[in-house]
Amino acid sequence: MTSHNSSSPTNPGHGENPTHRADPASPLFGRRSLLRGALAVAGVAALPALSACSSSKSGGGSEASNAVSFGSNAAVPEPKGAYQTLFAAAKKATGLDINVNWVDHNTFQQNITTYLQGNPQDVFNWFAGERMQYFAGQGLVSNVNDVWDKIGGSYTDAMKAQSKGSDGNYYFVPFDYYPWAVFYSKSLWASKGYTAPTTWDEYIALAKKMKADGLIPIAFTDKDGWPAMGTFDYLNMRMNGYEFHINLMRTGQGWNTSKVSAVFDQWRQLIPYYSPGFLGLTWQEGANQILNKQAGMMVLGLDQIGTIFTGSNADDLGFFAFPEIDPANGQDSVEAPIDGFMVAKSPKNAAGATKLLEYLGTAAAQQLWLGSNPADIATASGVDTSKYTKPQTAAISLINSAKHLSQFMDRDTLPSFADPVMLPAIQKFLSSPGEASSILSNIDAQAKTIWATNG
Amino acid sequence: MTAATVTGSPTAADAAASAPGRRRRRLRPARAFLHAFLIATCVVWIAPVLYALYTSLRPYADTAKDGYVSVGGHYNLGNYTNAWNEADLPLYFKNSAIITIPALLITLWLASMVAFVVARHSFKFNLLMLMIFTAGNLLPQQAIITPLYKLYITIPLPSWLSDSGHLDDSFFGLILIHVAFQTGFCVFVLSNFMRTVPNEITEAARVDGASEWRQYRQVVLPLCRPALAALATLEFTWIYNDFFWATVLMQTGSNRPITAALNNLTGQFFTDNNLIAAASMIVAIPTLVVFFALQKQFVSGLTLGANKG
Repeated sequence: MTSHNSSSPTNPGHGENPTHRADPASPLFGRRSLLRGALAVAGVAALPALSACSSSKSGGGSEASNAVSFGSNAAVPEPKGAYQTLFAAAKKATGLDINVNWVDHNTFQQNITTYLQGNPQDVFNWFAGERMQYFAGQGLVSNVNDVWDKIGGSYTDAMKAQSKGSDGNYYFVPFDYYPWAVFYSKSLWASKGYTAPTTWDEYIALAKKMKADGLIPIAFTDKDGWPAMGTFDYLNMRMNGYEFHINLMRTGQGWNTSKVSAVFDQWRQLIPYYSPGFLGLTWQEGANQILNKQAGMMVLGLDQIGTIFTGSNADDLGFFAFPEIDPANGQDSVEAPIDGFMVAKSPKNAAGATKLLEYLGTAAAQQLWLGSNPADIATASGVDTSKYTKPQTAAISLINSAKHLSQFMDRDTLPSFADPVMLPAIQKFLSSPGEASSILSNIDAQAKTIWATNG
Repeated sequence: MTAATVTGSPTAADAAASAPGRRRRRLRPARAFLHAFLIATCVVWIAPVLYALYTSLRPYADTAKDGYVSVGGHYNLGNYTNAWNEADLPLYFKNSAIITIPALLITLWLASMVAFVVARHSFKFNLLMLMIFTAGNLLPQQAIITPLYKLYITIPLPSWLSDSGHLDDSFFGLILIHVAFQTGFCVFVLSNFMRTVPNEITEAARVDGASEWRQYRQVVLPLCRPALAALATLEFTWIYNDFFWATVLMQTGSNRPITAALNNLTGQFFTDNNLIAAASMIVAIPTLVVFFALQKQFVSGLTLGANKG
């Protein structure tokens, strides 16, 4: 009986007890049709997949000199559209078909090592500074000296220096960049009669005044972790100078010194003026405090806050250089992260990659890409600046006034040090400012281990 | 205890008299506390989803002005249409189907065969095999990714299976790793379930002359339907929701599954959380459909194995 009853589902027509079968029958039917539907979907889905395989294979595999593959980190709609316009123009100018692999920014960045070892595209998005030199040093990218023979004339020496590996070869073609500064709402400042401070004492005095006026003096947020690095970089460059800062970033030596602990002492003076609950706020919330005139000023990059001040608000965005602390250093350094392109170790179409980069290195290409984007500026000289917004024009003069350009902490130091060590260390400092000395000795110990294993 | 006192006083008069009182008795502190606890837990679980749903109905400009914890402004489905078009969701749903459905079917098929052998025969290596399968399942994915990736980029595949010519960056490679990783758990569950099927059934089938294959396919497998349905629900959710393998082992952005498409809405710095909330709502739908379609089997599958020891 048991065996008969149990084996009946194999043979549905054979069931002799209809009342017994009635109960499971309806869900069974639903499940079956669902499974059948799923199989149909799988079948339908598999067909275009196979045809897609063959079509994209013919695209990527064609060694003809008119196709270049491009690994983009701009899958998000806004820069993606700008890149699509740019690549269409590049096809017109160079005759190259550009096959793009769109990947989102964070995934691209996190997977860069595996990406470069696997099957990378000929040309890909990347950053200047140590981030670039690290992969150049590992031999995972090709040099682009022949591109620079053509485009070299339209770049400043500071820009050239940021595009070279430690062996003196060029590995990077700059495209767009933006400065870090202290941003504010011009209309708010005009109504309150504030003026931009140039020294630390004026900066603190202004913050006090804003607090008395019922504003949040400094919009500061640290949920994301990385925006706080900008404040550290500026404090360090203003107090200890550019050379010290860059050596600290590149070598990882000297974290547990009085010079660095003085930076954290200085930083502690700012904390009372920060947004309430800043450890739980994202930079977007902080930037909205500026936009909504709840907060007075904010240390951030134009590329970030420029996406908040858009449209009619674009020209309301004002900024000033991070104030001077030590007159010996003045305001001579500007943090200006540069984005651009690199070429993979063994591109399928090296000549095409060079040709594409020669085009992307021109002011015309960069201006086309920028379009109405108010958050970045072009790296090549010869751009029609009349199309820039006021903040963009001001950004150019800020950067041109600088003696040194830094790239931001997470681009100037080892990738394995910036986010895993410094990001949580700064968060810990901000939540318990009294423990700076133990935090610094901890950073120092980890830096030693990381640089020892990275040679 | 409560039940005992209520039913323990059996006179009819008492029962009639206490009928209105019984309702009051139910509202004892313990019971009130239980309900308060259940409601609170329910709210804690549902709140994030409702919050995301609420956010997804509001345009970014309103929440940027008033903050996310606010009422008022516009409410519309604009984020949904934007998410559907901008994130190219149909393409990524297709990719997810290409990966999830074969992986799911192959996993269940292979696991049921291993489970059949482990459960219906008493070979000496059975326990060892089961231990290896379960142990493999406990291994964290992140721990093996580096050697696995090196393997993937060195194993060649014919070009009709993979654009890159390697296991890496191909649908086949992704399906393979899901099958490899999920089979262990499925074997564990299915073999436990198959042990509850009485031995007499297969003995009877053997007496009737059924081969090993036929016993598996026509006797044991149909009996495992509840367990298979339960596993199918779980495995579908796991494979569908996978982000780790998909991002590491698939370099071509347009071949990644739906979870990666969600990330495509995240900018380098700027993130439109309202848009992402809307996209997340859309992406969650297939899991819900599978769950509700299979939920009856899901529940009976979980309990069937428990009470038939």
